[in-house]
Amino acid sequence: MLNKIIIYTTFRLPSCRLSGLLSFCLFFLPVPLYAVQITLNVADVTASSFTARGIKVVLAQKGSAEFSIDKLHMADNTWHKVHVHCAEFILSSDRVTCHKGKLDAIPDMPFTFSYEFAAQRLDLRFSAKANELWQVSADFRAQPWRATVQLRNAQVKRLADWLPPDGPLPTQGTLIGTLVVSGDKAGVRQINADVHLAGIAAADASGLHAAEKLTGKLHVDATHTSQKWNWRGALDWQSGELFWQPLYLRGGHTLQASGQWDGAQLNVTQAVANLPEVGKVELNALWDVKKSNLLEARVVGKNLSLANAFSDYAKPFMVKDAVTAAEPKGRADVDWQYRNGATQALHVKLHDVAIVDSKKRFALHGINADIPWHAQQQSEAHMAFADGELMGLPLGATQWQIQMRGKSFILPTATLPLLDGKLEVSDFHLQSVNEVWEWDFASKLTSISMQKLSAALHWPEMHGSLSGSIPKVSYQHKLLKVDGTLLFKVFDGEVLANNLKLFDPFGLAPRLSGNLDMQGLDLDLLTRTFSFGNIQGRIDLGVHNLELVSWHPVRFDAKLGSSPGKYRKRISQKAVENISSLGGAGGGAALQRSFLRIFKSFGYDSIGLSCALRNNICTMAGTEDRGNAFTIVKGGGIPAITVMGYNRKVDWSELITRLKRVLQDNKAVIK
Amino acid sequence: MNNLIKFCFALFALCVSTAASAQVNIEINTPGVVALKQSMQQRHTELAAFYASGAVGITSDGMVALRDANAVPLAARQKVNGLVAAENQDRKALYAEIARANAHPEWEGDIRSTFAQRWIQRAQAGWWVQSGGTWSRK
Repeated sequence: MLNKIIIYTTFRLPSCRLSGLLSFCLFFLPVPLYAVQITLNVADVTASSFTARGIKVVLAQKGSAEFSIDKLHMADNTWHKVHVHCAEFILSSDRVTCHKGKLDAIPDMPFTFSYEFAAQRLDLRFSAKANELWQVSADFRAQPWRATVQLRNAQVKRLADWLPPDGPLPTQGTLIGTLVVSGDKAGVRQINADVHLAGIAAADASGLHAAEKLTGKLHVDATHTSQKWNWRGALDWQSGELFWQPLYLRGGHTLQASGQWDGAQLNVTQAVANLPEVGKVELNALWDVKKSNLLEARVVGKNLSLANAFSDYAKPFMVKDAVTAAEPKGRADVDWQYRNGATQALHVKLHDVAIVDSKKRFALHGINADIPWHAQQQSEAHMAFADGELMGLPLGATQWQIQMRGKSFILPTATLPLLDGKLEVSDFHLQSVNEVWEWDFASKLTSISMQKLSAALHWPEMHGSLSGSIPKVSYQHKLLKVDGTLLFKVFDGEVLANNLKLFDPFGLAPRLSGNLDMQGLDLDLLTRTFSFGNIQGRIDLGVHNLELVSWHPVRFDAKLGSSPGKYRKRISQKAVENISSLGGAGGGAALQRSFLRIFKSFGYDSIGLSCALRNNICTMAGTEDRGNAFTIVKGGGIPAITVMGYNRKVDWSELITRLKRVLQDNKAVIK
Repeated sequence: MNNLIKFCFALFALCVSTAASAQVNIEINTPGVVALKQSMQQRHTELAAFYASGAVGITSDGMVALRDANAVPLAARQKVNGLVAAENQDRKALYAEIARANAHPEWEGDIRSTFAQRWIQRAQAGWWVQSGGTWSRK
């Protein structure tokens, strides 16, 4: 005969003790347990951080038991329709045991449970294939009570349901180790964990925070005193990869740390991290866990290898620009202090550092510097380098003193040895305005040999010297601007540049605009340099409304003409031939071929040529215009020669091709 | 190489069709446009695999975005981030340069919108494109 007993009740427990609940119910049962099916319904069971609602226990006749819970809330997680099956359920006055138990949520992990009421000993073992074991052994009668968790090939993916769903969730890997928890009536007082991680993989939904094949050891000791946890830990990350946007790191890191945890803030009072191929850094930090916010931090590292420190830990945070294209090498001491959402101080010492731009725009070698930057206080940085290179030009040894105050940097004067001259920079001012960096300076270039300059830049050999002054150069919102007139002396004449503006100088399509006026250039020096065929005389050249995009001209109004004044004016046969060939097939129509064969040079009265470039078409004019024809070289003296042009509109690309041909091959033949 | 040819064709077709529809000379070939197109074409050989895997998708605002980093090996995620950032930098510069070359810098937004539609229309089958804030596979 089957007796069926149904009990409805509601319990509020100070702590979660289901065994006590069952004992209480069964104490009043009037019939032997083996002869009945008992259905026990409990509305809810609540304890601190634990709630179970809609509990139903069915104790069947054959010794099995079924437990179902409509809603279970534990450790900030909620499960619905939880079902537990115990193939062998034994309840006696001194213990409750469940053999061959199975949780619906983890059907591949049968478990065994036992609890001794008098001794208050608990044993829970989950086991699965591949020798996997999660075992909890607890002694609640001991003072302090103690629970030990043994992990053997424990698959971390089983922890996914216990972790915040928006963070990285484990998908692969195992844990081997021990977790010992002890405490008193007030709760957990001590935790000791010793865990070996093997092949751990984890990722969040976006994939921006992920790890693969993580292997290492973790040791943590934590003690609860005075409302706080004092903890000490060591992590030995042996291998595997970690991507934590934007950082990508590989194994080889170690960390020893200690600090406090008060339930809201994690305080790392002292930590030492060993960064592979970089060096050792000491750090402390205060982290607001609930707000996920770094409140304070300090990182100190000495004699760090800059190459890996920059590429692994600094470069990923930077916006791709000229700085990130630089590759530093050498050693550095770093002291970084962070508070209130911003860097408060950064003290950097560089020891024999080299910085080389991967695009070969600049390089500095032998840099030694002491840069004690502070967000609020004024300080001075000292920097020196042995040599360097700027756009292919060699730089000599230099020392700078830089005044710093917050995001303002001033270099009152600096001398940059450049070839056989020097570039004197004054009032260099770099500052950040509304998080946008801008800078300006004035400078003066003392005489540099054009011969050395042209050799350094791999230009045709030039003669004379280059000098000039730059009144003010400023850079703001991607715009590099020269205020005033830029003055250079070259080819024994003057070059004046004004309204110079260069937009996006570090971008793919930098745009230059401005006006150039060259006065009294010595044609002899100029034509000798470019092997154009000798011309004696002087010219003025104006290039107005100039616009270059990606350093290619897209617009200008250029006008070239003989300079005023008295000077010798001769043009060689080769120069005449070359000017003619620039004009294309019809360009040399005015030339007297037989006449040319007799004389090597000719006199001329004036040279004049203009070109208005629009839409890749150069519209030409000369010193005199006669209908469609125009005079480029007007004859004068004996023997004289006149060179005419007949093609007013020339494709700019074609003109450049012809010019290159002329400069490459001076044996231009007039047909 | 095949992808590169397709990309060049798509870019060409894009320019021609957009020019016709918006009456803007998007074919305009300034040195700046040429430099930017060359840069984008070179990068496309690297980006094509990420479009195909779904790691990178084409957004509705004429840019590209990293939509599923999990589709990329861990060691390559930094590189994809860099490619996406560089591509977007070039695209933004391209729209501005075309507008400027047309002597109408204020058209940049319209040019960008037109490019955005065309990039999506001409995306290859299997690529991910964005519409109304949601991603779908072509």
